[in-house]
Amino acid sequence: MSEKPFFVGYLPVPGPFRTFLVVLSVLLVAGLGTAGFLMGAAQDDPGPGAFRFDYGRQTVTGVVALTPYPLIHVTQGNDRIKPGDTFMMTAGGKSGVDSRAIPLDGQLAQVSGIILERGELYMLQVRGGQNGLRAAEGDVPAIAVEPQGRWQLTGEICDGKCLAGAMRPGRGLAHKACANLCLLGDVPPVFVSSQPVLGSEFLLVTGPGGTRLPRTAYDYVAQFITAEGNVTRHGDLLVWEIEPDTIEVVQ
Amino acid sequence: MSVKYTPVQWNRNKWLYDGVMLAGVGAFLWIFLYVTPEVLSHERAVNPQIHNARAFGACAFVMLTVILCIGPAARLDPRFLPLLYNRRHFGVMTAFVALTHASYILNWYFNFSSSDKYVALLYANSSFGQVAGFPFELFGIFALVCLLILATTSHDFWLKFLTPPVWKRLHYLIYAAYFSVVAHVSLGILQDQRNQVFTIIFISGAAAVIVLHLAAWWAERGRSIAAKDGAWVEVARPSEMTEGRARIARLTNGDRVAVFLMEGKLSAISNACAHQNGPLGEGRIIDCLVTCPWHGFQYDVRTGRSPAPFTEMVPTYRIRIHNGMIEVHPDANPPGTPVTPVPLPAAQRSKEGALA
Repeated sequence: MSEKPFFVGYLPVPGPFRTFLVVLSVLLVAGLGTAGFLMGAAQDDPGPGAFRFDYGRQTVTGVVALTPYPLIHVTQGNDRIKPGDTFMMTAGGKSGVDSRAIPLDGQLAQVSGIILERGELYMLQVRGGQNGLRAAEGDVPAIAVEPQGRWQLTGEICDGKCLAGAMRPGRGLAHKACANLCLLGDVPPVFVSSQPVLGSEFLLVTGPGGTRLPRTAYDYVAQFITAEGNVTRHGDLLVWEIEPDTIEVVQ
Repeated sequence: MSVKYTPVQWNRNKWLYDGVMLAGVGAFLWIFLYVTPEVLSHERAVNPQIHNARAFGACAFVMLTVILCIGPAARLDPRFLPLLYNRRHFGVMTAFVALTHASYILNWYFNFSSSDKYVALLYANSSFGQVAGFPFELFGIFALVCLLILATTSHDFWLKFLTPPVWKRLHYLIYAAYFSVVAHVSLGILQDQRNQVFTIIFISGAAAVIVLHLAAWWAERGRSIAAKDGAWVEVARPSEMTEGRARIARLTNGDRVAVFLMEGKLSAISNACAHQNGPLGEGRIIDCLVTCPWHGFQYDVRTGRSPAPFTEMVPTYRIRIHNGMIEVHPDANPPGTPVTPVPLPAAQRSKEGALA
């Protein structure tokens, strides 16, 4: 009677098993390599956001305005940042610049830092302490705030810094916890609209009446939602005062 | 088998096993980390930290899938049994790969805030009341803890210390870990992924685990042949026995008994190896000793005892031939109890002799 081979780990592998195991080993290594390729090559484009270290450190002067998230309306720019530009500010890591910006609200200030850029979305990561944000002398021009009416928008609430390029990808549900941490650290939240609003895809998003983004809205961060609220234009930046009661998840 | 504890009892097969597994894992990671960035035509690359985290996370999932496929594959086809032999090393490797994934995530997504990153991990997302946006990281933490427990207790010291039944139950955590990983991926990266290739691989892997387990369960069900006649359980006809091999019967209490034919005589022992509950009845008699197909632990079929100096023991069973059927009594003897073997009927012995 022919005896089927039997494998015992501490004994030599029976002859009939050897070919099978060699083929299996090759298939296993090749299969894992193929899986690595397919899964690695299936990653979605994280978008064009990035720290622009290649631009070098940017130092400009402008008017600090709180929305309540701090903005800078540039009055004296440089080769890259022009007078009239308005952009959001953030500190290093997952922190905003509120503690430094609040005393300078409505005043002229010099800001210095590195640009984060994603298409039309700009943000400045300012240097630490007074090197990054300090009072400047000069006339303070009036900054126009233009109401744009009530809008119902569809899109995603993100933290502005990761979205602008601190992380790639810097949006989506896999990034939600990171986005929440940024928002809790006072990094300005940004709404990515599915359709351009008055020519812009990105809007700074706040709570109603110029308050911070309500904590109830954090549950909807990184989800595809629709909501209503008033839009105002601060310089060349749109600010949307989202009303949390109107938020609905879009399937 | 050993009478003392050593970190690893290396032998040639274990070196080869680990070498093949390391080559596979190395191929996966090297291609994911260094080849695919050249293939992706993104304007700006995924952050290296996120890319690394994805590579190690995907690798851990694939490794876990392979590990969970080995068991049922070996049940369905004994040629896969060598993959079972050193599976624990593959498991420990998986725990390290998963830990590396977690480290990248923790030191990137949960770092740089004013909070401690471990604290941030627990409070950053508290959307427990919804499916989309649920803090899927918790599933990952649970799976990682399971894998680390399994890796830590994978050594035979813990098997002996915890006792095989407790150790075996503890190591069923691998299934909880896998389900948790599936939830972790489903509620996390899968929610964002637009390229469906990853989704297809993920679903195929999880489906393979389920299908193989169902197939093994079905085959096992078909092989169970226990029938009860009074207090005794019918196992097989004498003509169905093969020298050096066993027939397995499932008792009414769920235990399995392996009835071996050795040198023309029948003996019955528990089907569960004292080492890791391996199926002794699927093993062979080598040098007059039942040899477990999983790790080669050996027992004297007449006593249920491992040969000296080893001390492992399994229960034995009383056996008889009644009305042309081999029967065992379902009450197990204490492990290591000698039982006199029952000779096959003379006609059957001569048939066995002729066949041999």
